[in-house]
Amino acid sequence: MTSLAASAQGYRRLHITALSMRVDHRSVQVEQVFHVAIHVHVTETVANLDELVIPDVGVLEPMGDERAVSHATGGTDVVETLTLAAAQPGVVTLRPAYLDAIDPKSGKALRFSSNSLRIVVVTARAAGASDRSPGIARTFLLVFGVVIGGVSFLIAIVLVVLLVQSRRRAGVVVAAPVVVAPPPGPPVRSPREDVEAALRRYRTSPANGTLHELRAALFVAAGASPGGTLRDALAETSNGALRRALTAAEGAAFGPEAMRDAASTDLIAATERWLA
Amino acid sequence: MSAPRAVLDALHATIVGQDEVCEGLVLAVVAGGHVLLEGAPGVAKTLACRALAAAVGGVFRRVQFTPDLLPSDVTGTRIFDQKSGEFTTVLGPLFANVVLADEINRAPAKVQSALLEGMQERRATIGPQTHDLPTPFLVLATMNPYDAEGTYPLPHAQLDRFLTKLVVAYPSLEEERTIVDRFGAGEPPLLADVVTLDDVRRWQREAHAVFVDAKVRDYAVALVRASREADLVVHGASPRAALALVALARARAYLEGRAFATPDDVRDIAPSVLRHRLSYDDRIALGDRDPEEVVRRIVAAVRAP
Repeated sequence: MTSLAASAQGYRRLHITALSMRVDHRSVQVEQVFHVAIHVHVTETVANLDELVIPDVGVLEPMGDERAVSHATGGTDVVETLTLAAAQPGVVTLRPAYLDAIDPKSGKALRFSSNSLRIVVVTARAAGASDRSPGIARTFLLVFGVVIGGVSFLIAIVLVVLLVQSRRRAGVVVAAPVVVAPPPGPPVRSPREDVEAALRRYRTSPANGTLHELRAALFVAAGASPGGTLRDALAETSNGALRRALTAAEGAAFGPEAMRDAASTDLIAATERWLA
Repeated sequence: MSAPRAVLDALHATIVGQDEVCEGLVLAVVAGGHVLLEGAPGVAKTLACRALAAAVGGVFRRVQFTPDLLPSDVTGTRIFDQKSGEFTTVLGPLFANVVLADEINRAPAKVQSALLEGMQERRATIGPQTHDLPTPFLVLATMNPYDAEGTYPLPHAQLDRFLTKLVVAYPSLEEERTIVDRFGAGEPPLLADVVTLDDVRRWQREAHAVFVDAKVRDYAVALVRASREADLVVHGASPRAALALVALARARAYLEGRAFATPDDVRDIAPSVLRHRLSYDDRIALGDRDPEEVVRRIVAAVRAP
């Protein structure tokens, strides 16, 4: 995490709980397609995270870039998947992805960064030789790794010096890197709790949408999929109270307007009996 | 006042098994549509139709369709009366409340057209005069999927006029044993006049008033539209199929004593509404794939509301 002194007005207040970068193959052949996934989780519900800056892929050939945004009870997950291929052998280091936002805890503008990635690209021949003669390949990779490691170390020292100098100029304070934790999944609720929550919403606001939410929750509680019909749900459960609630939901959902009030009362009563 | 379930019970008293066929026949009576029955010889297609006609009462006529049948043999004709010196109209077997068109695909297209025009317009023209057909008017047509030689397949436009197509399957082992025990001694019993024609007219009126929620209607439309994009289907079902789905869903709700139709009603009757309205590609015609499987997949692919 790096605090940002200037131009913080444009940042959003985001509670970032995860920012990580993963690759599906750490060692790839030339022209082999591989994927890098950047995952961000924020506790807020947001439509998109335009602030997310993905690293420059350098010599790698970009073959695709897809961003998926999903919303759950615990906030928003954004997963950006880069499809890449290497044109030449060597070691490629992807710098961290980052995003700038105001940390709700401290109220300060911070730069949240992911981990970096190191990918080894070998020629198809080297990979084939590796298959034929693992000893030679291992030696080659060892020498290659030592050389590249040394070069990387030197580059890292130069980068650190440049970074320190630039921060001195900008008056920026270096903060500890963000701890990249696996995304906390949405709190797991039992189907019964889902029905309770849906019933609460329906009682508060007895509209068509909340009614169908309650009906869907009852379906799941019975063990049927939401795309099924009443018969599917009834076939899944022998619980008499739940069956009555499911049947009452059908009347409330599809019955004529004149019957809706009575059907709604039946549904609430039947669901409460099952929950009790 | 009798309920449609009385007719269903009367059918079950005669027909062993074939629950879907029996229910499909009663639903067609309630919805006021025509039925096409397909099945191998001897599986009780004709018996089911006769049992229904007997239970409903009214006038019943049976026409055995053959290659030499003429349109006037179905609709009627004008005969010169030597005594009066004038032509008089003789109404054909089409003028009945329940018409059984046995082996409909054995008659030429001209005869099929005469019958199907009557089915659609509920009137028939004989000479210069047009005559209304009685109400209720129900055509039950049977078809044999085998022995295709010498038959005249019904065009799709004409098949579309059948509200529903019921497939009469072979009975199970236990059902076949019951058939031998029950009917081995002679003709199966037919329960006559279980309900009146007035009852049927009332059912049709009341079933028409059964409520169909917009979501259920949309589900019916989605099924029909899905049939047009299904694999192996060259031409999907027409909008008339969506009307048929809703009409039969209403009838089913009415039969069950409900004032509203549900997604289950639509899903259950969907195969009988869709199966004769789809035209398939050559793999079906060559027998490589089962058309019933195509229909099942269409129904399974559409999420119920």
